[in-house]
Amino acid sequence: MMRFLVWIGAAVLGALAALGRLIVFTGSTLRHLVTPPFYAREFGNALFQIGFLSLPVVGLTALFTGGALALQIYSGGARFSAEAVVPQIVAIGMVRELGPVLVGLMIAARVTSSIAAEIATMKVTEQLDALVTLSTHPMKYLTVPRVLAATLVMPFLVGVGDIVGVMGGFIMGVERLGFNGATYLQNTVDFLEWRDIVSSLTKGAAFGFIAALMGCYYGMGSGRGAMGVGAATKQAVVAAAVLILAANLFLTEAFFSS
Amino acid sequence: MITLENLSKSFGSNHVLRDVSLHVPKGQSLVVIGGSGSGKSVLIKCILGLVTPDAGRVIIDRQDVTQTDRASLLHRFGMLFQAGALFDSLPVWQNVGFRLLRGPDSRKEVREIAIEKLRRVGLEADVADKIPAELSGGMQKRVGLARAIAADPEIIFFDEPTTGLDPIMAGVINDLVREITAEMGATTITITHDMSSVRAIADQVAMIHDGIVQWTGPIGTLDRSNDAYVAQFIAGRPEGPIATIR
Repeated sequence: MMRFLVWIGAAVLGALAALGRLIVFTGSTLRHLVTPPFYAREFGNALFQIGFLSLPVVGLTALFTGGALALQIYSGGARFSAEAVVPQIVAIGMVRELGPVLVGLMIAARVTSSIAAEIATMKVTEQLDALVTLSTHPMKYLTVPRVLAATLVMPFLVGVGDIVGVMGGFIMGVERLGFNGATYLQNTVDFLEWRDIVSSLTKGAAFGFIAALMGCYYGMGSGRGAMGVGAATKQAVVAAAVLILAANLFLTEAFFSS
Repeated sequence: MITLENLSKSFGSNHVLRDVSLHVPKGQSLVVIGGSGSGKSVLIKCILGLVTPDAGRVIIDRQDVTQTDRASLLHRFGMLFQAGALFDSLPVWQNVGFRLLRGPDSRKEVREIAIEKLRRVGLEADVADKIPAELSGGMQKRVGLARAIAADPEIIFFDEPTTGLDPIMAGVINDLVREITAEMGATTITITHDMSSVRAIADQVAMIHDGIVQWTGPIGTLDRSNDAYVAQFIAGRPEGPIATIR
């Protein structure tokens, strides 16, 4: 019994310590975000890496998901004669939920892992120490450009994901399910509200912040050697994915609870 | 110029440095020797502020830098890391001119300075546009050396400058370190367990074992030292007071 209580206590203390470290890291990132110097070249490079190079994976994910969603709604809706709502449900499903969440998760897989592995490798090869000796703060040089770029570019990626996802549903609806193209698009446009789009893009910004922050946090805190880099990468992706899903719940509650 | 007073650092129950006191006069070269895990690298990291000492003082030019903002002093330091620590994503010239690129000089000027420094360490200008992964270990060390001296620092640290190099390349690096620091008039601290480096680079030698300064003296007295630890280390004998399993 005593051993169990000790184990519980240690686990709780460990979790609180980890939470504290994450809060301090986030605070430090935000502080460095608004204090010079700023590294424009690093920021531009991060925009390109996170934004432009993620477009193919975002587009393909959204396209297939939109198409599959249209099929599912059509076959499921047929049970209660509601096949006609495919355009509306695809639109609301993609824009409100699947677009931001799937893009967020794909960015967690592609960008968080890459950031964590890169920074962790820099740590174990003393490149972070080298930065310090060259009068460059690693938080400013590595973390701030990546977090800022991900936060700013993710709404754009989510917007692309939303549009491509809807188009995936459109292609499936028109080519496979026999919908009239013009009517499908009209139903989509008529049904969507500004609130849906704003919530989608806001989620994108929040998920981008989380994805890049987790990559940097676990990369900077990496252990030694190849195992340390591997563990940091894995933990960063898992943490980013879980936090994105949790943030999605809270943001959905904030936007649509009334 | 650099004085360490009773410097101590522990990681948990592992006492890496225990009351370490050393002095390096301006323009002199101190070489710190000792076995793996003896605390040599932590010593340099304490001076640089990469590791915060638990106790003791680091004094540079009569200023206690443990009490001040270390960042303001870093422009006076250069550092050659054991494995080079070159930035993978940047070409060689940007590695060499990294600090200068954050200063008032234009990129063109920094590139010219970087190429000049590369030439000083025996590398051709065409190396400037390569990325570090395209270079051999010896070339990476030279680039690391060029980066360490790029901003003409007053104090340079060398962490295992010849580790992983063949004896000929190690000799080349040793000679470069000696020549360059002499012409710059820099104060240097070198960490090594390579005795050829010690003999090529050192004015003063300090041996650290188990976190304490076991012996210190001019290079000329090293071979005449009666210290059993120093004698075992120089001879590379497994028998002696230094345990072979650490």
